[in-house]
Amino acid sequence: MSEVQRRIYSQEEKNAIFDGEFMPHIDSMYNFGYRLTFDEDDAKDLVQDTYLKAYRFINSFEQGTNAKAWLFRILKNSFINEYRKKSKQPTKVDYQEVETYYNSDDVHYQSTSDLRAESVKDMLGDEISNALNSLAVDFRTVIILCDLEGFTYEEMAKILDIPIGTVRSRLHRARNLLKEKLQGYAQNMGYNTDEEEEEA
Amino acid sequence: MEMNDNPSGEKKVQCSDESKCLELLESILDGELQDSGKEILKEKLAKCQPCFEHYHLEQAIRDVLKTKCTKHAVPTELADCIRQKIQDIK
Repeated sequence: MSEVQRRIYSQEEKNAIFDGEFMPHIDSMYNFGYRLTFDEDDAKDLVQDTYLKAYRFINSFEQGTNAKAWLFRILKNSFINEYRKKSKQPTKVDYQEVETYYNSDDVHYQSTSDLRAESVKDMLGDEISNALNSLAVDFRTVIILCDLEGFTYEEMAKILDIPIGTVRSRLHRARNLLKEKLQGYAQNMGYNTDEEEEEA
Repeated sequence: MEMNDNPSGEKKVQCSDESKCLELLESILDGELQDSGKEILKEKLAKCQPCFEHYHLEQAIRDVLKTKCTKHAVPTELADCIRQKIQDIK
């Protein structure tokens, strides 16, 4: 919450912003919270905390700017600062560890998968959802923000407090990891992959 | 990324600059290049088979994420609960 306080809203203006610009995003916020925590009660707490903070710091929100991105940023920070600390289930892999492994934002783009578009289209919602949920939280987050919520790279950079180049490279890595998962499912389910086709 | 003339209309089977192409295709799919991206994309997909396949795979993944990762219904009491708590601190 480092934004400069821009102006003081009247009580009426506060109510209008809260109802008109903040509350309409509750579905997306809850979904984001749930996909971060995998727990309905935790997701509820996270969304509630976010809205209370949003109200408390409403003077630092500039009316007419992107309320959804502003709210997502608060939720993401609450998750990192509060939820992750008290979490009974620590996240499987912390992004920092993964980042050390790759050791650079300057990712070399490569196609790592024999997965075929047709196999992906045939997959069930559960398979897609499970593949997404299996990713480390920082990879999962960029995919949720970009593909489920439709944020631009610039908005994601602001939400996550990282440079746009990092958004881009993290997304690329996240999608490669997702493809690996989906390819595993495709092979288990007997979908064709290029490799199998060549053997046939 | 090279755009070689291809009068036969056949697609290249190997991409000469895969890394750059993938980065570009992903940016286009993510809506980062808008109009200028459409022309580049059209030309690429017409001329390069690996780019064509990569594009369709990436597109399929984005589509299934969007359509099949369904949203969890928000508990009905959550909005009321938030409004109540806001009332309390007003």
